[in-house]
Amino acid sequence: MTATAAPARRAHPSPVRKRAARVTRTGFVAALPFLAPALAAYAVFVVGPMVESIRLSFFEWSGFQGAPQEFVGIRNYVRIFTQDPVFWTAFSNTLVWVVLSLFIPLGLGLVMALALNRPLFGRNAFRSIFYIPGVLAPIAIANMWRWMYNPNYGVGQTLADLLNAPWLGEIQWLGDKNLALYSIFAAFVWQIAGTNMVLFLAGLQGVTPEHIEAAKLDGANAWQVFRNVTWPALRPTTVVVLVLTIINSIKVFDLIVGMTGGGPAQQTQVLALWSFQQSFGNHEYGMGNAIATVLLVVTLVIVVPYMVWTARQEKNS
Amino acid sequence: MSVVTVPVAPSAVRPSRRRPFGRQPRDWVRVGLWIALLVAVLIWAVPLIFMVFTSLKSEPDIFGTPAFVPPWNPEWGNYVEALDRGNLLTAGGNSLIIALVKVPLGLFLSAAAAFALSRLRFKRQRLLMGVIAMGAMVPIQVAIAPLFQVINGLGLLSTHIGVILPYLAFGLPYQTFILYGFFRQIPEEIDESARMDGAGNWRLFLTIILPLAKPALAALFILDFVATWNEYSIGLALLQSQESWTIPLALQGFQSQFTSSYGPLNAFTIMSMLPVLIVYLMFQRYFVEGAFAGAVKG
Repeated sequence: MTATAAPARRAHPSPVRKRAARVTRTGFVAALPFLAPALAAYAVFVVGPMVESIRLSFFEWSGFQGAPQEFVGIRNYVRIFTQDPVFWTAFSNTLVWVVLSLFIPLGLGLVMALALNRPLFGRNAFRSIFYIPGVLAPIAIANMWRWMYNPNYGVGQTLADLLNAPWLGEIQWLGDKNLALYSIFAAFVWQIAGTNMVLFLAGLQGVTPEHIEAAKLDGANAWQVFRNVTWPALRPTTVVVLVLTIINSIKVFDLIVGMTGGGPAQQTQVLALWSFQQSFGNHEYGMGNAIATVLLVVTLVIVVPYMVWTARQEKNS
Repeated sequence: MSVVTVPVAPSAVRPSRRRPFGRQPRDWVRVGLWIALLVAVLIWAVPLIFMVFTSLKSEPDIFGTPAFVPPWNPEWGNYVEALDRGNLLTAGGNSLIIALVKVPLGLFLSAAAAFALSRLRFKRQRLLMGVIAMGAMVPIQVAIAPLFQVINGLGLLSTHIGVILPYLAFGLPYQTFILYGFFRQIPEEIDESARMDGAGNWRLFLTIILPLAKPALAALFILDFVATWNEYSIGLALLQSQESWTIPLALQGFQSQFTSSYGPLNAFTIMSMLPVLIVYLMFQRYFVEGAFAGAVKG
C-alpha cells in the first residue's frame, strides 16, 4: 500500500513495479463495480424482506397498504405458540418431513447409486428414469400424484381390482387425515431420490477400482468393502446430500399446495405454507411473519454449523 | 472435498473391473440385480405412464377402464382442449420471456460478483461470501410477504420485471457460491501474466476468466433455466392477473378450475413439462456436472 510513496521505486525492475501498482488498485473500490449489482439485488429483494419480516412479526397488520401497523411486542409469538392449534401441527409436520427425508430418499438414492455404479445393460436409461422426476416442476408432480391418488379412478382402485383386495380401493390417500402427509411425502421421495442418486454417483467416482480390488485381495467381502472403502470415501458427499435434503424439506410448499392445500383439517400444514396462508389468505401479516421468523431461526440453527464446518474444512485442506 | 475437484460425468467413467476368477456366480448376481432394477424402474415410471395414458383417453375410457390399460384409441382432443381452455400459450410465452431474461442476466451478475470475491483482494471477503451463500439456504417463504410489499410499492405486481428482479436476487447466492468455487481453482499465474500484459480487471474478467468458466456456466445455465421454469411460490405471491401467469401458475389454475376434466388436465401437465424434458434430454450431461458442482461446494 505504501509502494507509491517509496523513494526507491525507480530502482525496482519494471515488471515488479507494474504488479505493485496493480495491487494498489485492487481494493474494495476496484471490486465494487463487479459486486454492486448483485449486492444491490440481494440487499433489496432478499435481505431487506427478511429483516422486514422480523420487524413485522412484532406488529399487527392486515397487509393492506395504508392500513395501520400496530406495535404489539411479542404478542404474535405468544399467539402462535399458545393459541394457534395449526402452528404446532405445521411445526411437527415440518419436523417429521425433515427426519423422514434424512432416511428414505437419502437411503434410496444411495442404493440406486451403488446399484448403477457398474456396467449394466441399459444403465443410462435406468439412471434417467430415476432422475427425471427431479427436473419436473413440483406443482406438476403434485397434479400427477393427486390424480394417482384419486379414490375412484386412481392407481389404488386398479391395484385393488388386480390383487382382489377391495380394502386397497377404499383408502383415502389424501383424504385421511392420518395418512395424507405420508402420501404427499411419497411424491417427495419420488421427486428427490434420483437427485440424491446423481450426487452419490458423483461421489462414488472418488472410489477407484484399485482401492476395491486391493481390499478384495486382502479378503474383504462385499459388506466389508462397502463399510471400509466406499462409505468413508462417500462421507463428504453424504454431508452435502444431508444438508441439501434438510434445506429442501424445510422449503416444501408446492407439493402440499398442489395436493391438499394443507388439508384435510389442516393436517398436512407445514411452516412454510402456514406462514404464507396467514399473511396472504387470512391477512394476519404479524402472525404470518412470526411463523416466517420461526422458520428462519430453524433454518439458521441447521445451516450455520454446517457453514462453519465447511469453512474449517477448507482451511484445513 | 479433495475427492471431487475436476467435474467428470459418471457415465464417462467406465472402470473395467474384471475378477480374475469366479465369473459364473457373479453373473447370476448381476442378472438378479438387473431384474430388481428393472422392477424398480417400472415402479418409478408408474406416475409418468399413468399420466400419459390418462391424457390420451376419452372421458368414458378414463372412468370405465382400469388405470393401466393403454389408450388403444388415443384421444388427442384432450390436448386441444387443454390448449384451448388453459391459457397455455400465454403462460408459456410469459415463462419463456422471464427465463430468457433472468437466466443469462443472473449468471452474468453472479459471475461478476464471484470474480470480485475470488480474484480481487479486499477486506472481509470471505465473510461477505458467507453472507451471500447463506441466502441460498434460507427458504424463500421466510421473505415472501415483505417481498410482496416491496414489489407492490414499486408498482410492479403482475409484470415480467416485477418477478424477474426477485428471481435474480434469489438465484444469485447459489450461483455466486458455485462460480466462486470454480474461479478459485483457476491458477493465480493466469491473472498475473494477464496483468503484466496490461489487462485491467474488466478485461481479465471478460476475456480470460469467463471463457475459462464455460463448463460451469453452461451447467448453471441449464439448471437455472429448469429452476426458473418450475418456480411457483414467488410467482403465486407476485403474479396476480391471469395474463401474467407463468406455466406453474397456469397449471394450478387449470387444476382448480377444471378439477374433474382428468384427460385435459393430464394433457396440460404433460405439455407444461415438455420444455424442461427437452432441455434435459439435450443437455443431460450438464445436469450431472451441475449437480456435481453443487456437490463439490455445497
